[in-house]
Amino acid sequence: MTRLAAWWFAPAPAQRLAAVRIIVGLYALLYVAVRLGELASVARLPVANFAPVGVIRILGAPLPAGLTLALAMATMAALACFVVGAWWRVAAPLAAGLLLWTLSYRNSWGMVFHTENLLVIHVGALAVTPAADAYALGPRPAATPASGYGWALKLLALLTAATYVLAGVAKLRLAGLGWLDGDFLRNQIAVDNLRKALLGTPTAPLATPLLDHPGWFAMVSLATLVLELGAPVVLLGGKAARAWALGAWGFHVGVILMMNIWFPYPLFGIAYVPLLHAERVIEVARRVGRKMFRR
Amino acid sequence: MRGRLYAGLVTGALLVIVASPVIRSPFDDSFPLSTYPMFGTPRETQQTLDYAWGQTRTGERRALPPVLLGTGEILQAVRIYERAVLGGKKTLEPLCVRLAAAVAADPSYADVAIVHIVTGTHDAVDYLVRDKHGAETERVRCAVRPP
Repeated sequence: MTRLAAWWFAPAPAQRLAAVRIIVGLYALLYVAVRLGELASVARLPVANFAPVGVIRILGAPLPAGLTLALAMATMAALACFVVGAWWRVAAPLAAGLLLWTLSYRNSWGMVFHTENLLVIHVGALAVTPAADAYALGPRPAATPASGYGWALKLLALLTAATYVLAGVAKLRLAGLGWLDGDFLRNQIAVDNLRKALLGTPTAPLATPLLDHPGWFAMVSLATLVLELGAPVVLLGGKAARAWALGAWGFHVGVILMMNIWFPYPLFGIAYVPLLHAERVIEVARRVGRKMFRR
Repeated sequence: MRGRLYAGLVTGALLVIVASPVIRSPFDDSFPLSTYPMFGTPRETQQTLDYAWGQTRTGERRALPPVLLGTGEILQAVRIYERAVLGGKKTLEPLCVRLAAAVAADPSYADVAIVHIVTGTHDAVDYLVRDKHGAETERVRCAVRPP
């Protein structure tokens, strides 16, 4: 138990956790900003399409479109405070709660997407950690907290891993080891691309050439399950964690090539930032900023 | 010590919450705590789907993307068509009129004269690899009126 605690609470720089806060928060802020138009049009869909999920289940009917937009704007304001680390104890939980609300509302119109789950979980987890002890507006803490910052980074990595493990477990619960024969994956890819073709959106570039070669999908199925169930390897840190992150990123590129489904949070690498020395990104950004201002 | 206790409690609580979907039915999906059923559910390649297509003035066929329904998401569009078909004429006709109005308002669909909402049954591999289309049943059709 002592060894486990020593490993879990091994020190890490405050700047690393703070850098993760900035990168994840900035992504969330831009994501909501980019989705504003879609949030507005979804909020105007007929009431019959309203199928609340998660926290939205407390609503008996959709909110007025104006209120939905106002809440999305409030989410952006709270996320801006989250990014700069201002009023952390109030702004961070508020940002996490509003992001949960806004994205749950987007998922409450007949289809649950799976591209935003980890983003909401990461922002929620960061909000309850000392992630604004560096690179932040406002007073700095007089001393490093007794628990340090390393545990929070491990927690974020573990939450990333948990979502992949859950996806792997779901395949085994629904299809058993039969999922590995490749037919399940091939049929999924075929059906997904059929929908796209019929509904006038682009099909994936590799779907049609590969669908005629069923044997190939057994290999891809095995690789997918190994990657998903092997995600806890991230807890080893270092090269093992980085190698897994690269594999997971490659998996999402494969999903684009075969299904044209985009998971931007992992594709931009943000999902894997807790596994990296994220403070280096901020230091590089600061150096570039200083150079630009000198000119 | 209090800091470590807090960290331990936060870690334990978040892990239990995020792992909780494993005790739900895999079909009981939610957000953000998903059971991730999307690629695990067995599917047949033969599928029956509800969708719309546009007929041009010269009789050619054009697919109508989800954005014309007010969503950028294909699965949301699929649900909208499904619900409309389930609701019968009462829901199909308003949807067709709404879609036709969106088509009329979009200059890139200026050649579309009629909107058809149909139910089609296709084999996905045949459709995509061999360009073999299945049968379609028309649910409703409506004219595109210039704005």
